[in-house]
Amino acid sequence: MIGNRVHAVQEAGEGGAIRIRWIPKYSAMERVFHWGHTVTFLLLAMTGMILFFPFLRPLARGDGGQLIRLVHRGAAIGYGALPLMYIILEPRRAWMSLKSVFKVSRYDVEWVKGMIPYYMFGRHEAMAPQDRFNTGEKLNAVVIILGSIVFAATGLVMWFGKGLVPIGLFQLMVVLHDLAMIVTVSMFIVHLYLAVVHPLMWAGLVSMRFGVTSAAYAQEHHALWYYGPERAKEIYEAQKAEAESEKE
Amino acid sequence: MSRVAMLIDESICMACRGCQVACKQWNDLPAEETTQRGTYENPPDRSAVTWQLVRFREHVQGDSVQWLFLTEGCFHCGNPACVEVCPTGALKQDPDLGIVTVETDLCNGCGYCTQFCPFGIPRLDTDVLTGEGKAFKCTMCQDRVSNGLTPACVKTCPAGAMDFGDREAMLAKGHARVEELKQAGFPNANLYGEHEMGGLGRLYVLKERPSLYGLPENPQYPVMANLWQGLLQPLGALAFGAAAVGVLGFWVIARRNIPMEEVE
Repeated sequence: MIGNRVHAVQEAGEGGAIRIRWIPKYSAMERVFHWGHTVTFLLLAMTGMILFFPFLRPLARGDGGQLIRLVHRGAAIGYGALPLMYIILEPRRAWMSLKSVFKVSRYDVEWVKGMIPYYMFGRHEAMAPQDRFNTGEKLNAVVIILGSIVFAATGLVMWFGKGLVPIGLFQLMVVLHDLAMIVTVSMFIVHLYLAVVHPLMWAGLVSMRFGVTSAAYAQEHHALWYYGPERAKEIYEAQKAEAESEKE
Repeated sequence: MSRVAMLIDESICMACRGCQVACKQWNDLPAEETTQRGTYENPPDRSAVTWQLVRFREHVQGDSVQWLFLTEGCFHCGNPACVEVCPTGALKQDPDLGIVTVETDLCNGCGYCTQFCPFGIPRLDTDVLTGEGKAFKCTMCQDRVSNGLTPACVKTCPAGAMDFGDREAMLAKGHARVEELKQAGFPNANLYGEHEMGGLGRLYVLKERPSLYGLPENPQYPVMANLWQGLLQPLGALAFGAAAVGVLGFWVIARRNIPMEEVE
């Protein structure tokens, strides 16, 4: 039961070739949002850090520094516009995603418990069934969403509030902006690892690129989404019982 | 050379604003268009092209009005917050003279100095939308001073209210003048700037409490600057390092333990 072994929905097609049943997972807007956010996030992080870390000082200087600040502002517009586009163009999907990202259940607790054995050692006897986003993806989304709200609020004050707001408030905005940067960039490093580098996690990258996921992968990794809560629970209980009996 | 300071005796200042003009002349700064606001104070505020400004304050005491003048400009703090928060190193403190200057070529216009100065001294000439611009402030005529001259404002002061020299000597002079004022019927007379912000390079002899001149009684180094530079920067480096090392270690362990031939 390791990783992405395709075990349930492979159908032998003509000449015995394996046919994979693809099911839609992300809309085009969602993928544009995701990758647009990736590009603008990286631009913002790189240009922002030049003003943050003293060892990058040479890059922050003079006209080059002004260009970097301009790029930061331009990227910020894109970074803020993308989620708004998503909400305006696909309000129902946006609401659905938002709800599922902030929903916490006991399966999330169990996922966290099973995370280290699974991702480090590939033990996958009985992972708690997951919704369209698994607990890790949800955690990433929550951190990025909350971080982005902090970025937007503090960034707008830093952009337009200079001289208009009390300096104490401005200073607090700078510190919060940087704090949000530290948290989200750390999260980004982990997200990048799990999405691109980790040996088991290629399927997420495929679905974020093409918008589809294989039914087999969805059954195993997103059972709650694929089967619905009742059937997913039944399967999960059965798997746990099987794992128990194997132990004995 | 040791640390230098300007000593400005506000009990002598007659608010002729010669210092304002001399500052503009020496630093080649243009005049500003202004409006009549019913006061001699003019232009209304310091700016990117007005680095020194004489404030006129009316202090009403009983039936008499006291006119308090204050020659505003950079204080050249001994412990300057602007230098610490500047991300380019454009703001620097002369290690010998203690003069704080902005190197315009290095400045990228971020304006952090304007927001972290407890006196609100640096001024930004900027486009709000693009953020392009530069910060400016009094340089204590570093060019003149390092060539053995006094700052232009000090040189021009016809009342003899401004003095310049070794900071220790200026402090001694200031204290002596405060004693004189106290005996002459100004019990609140004081010397401003001896200990504030690591000791200021612009010292004032004042007849009244600093707050009556619009000066902060007890200027504080901004806590947020400490938090930012002292805590957040190392924390950031630590967090990114830990995350990167963490995922690398994770990857090594995962590679070793997960049989890839079983992954389809």
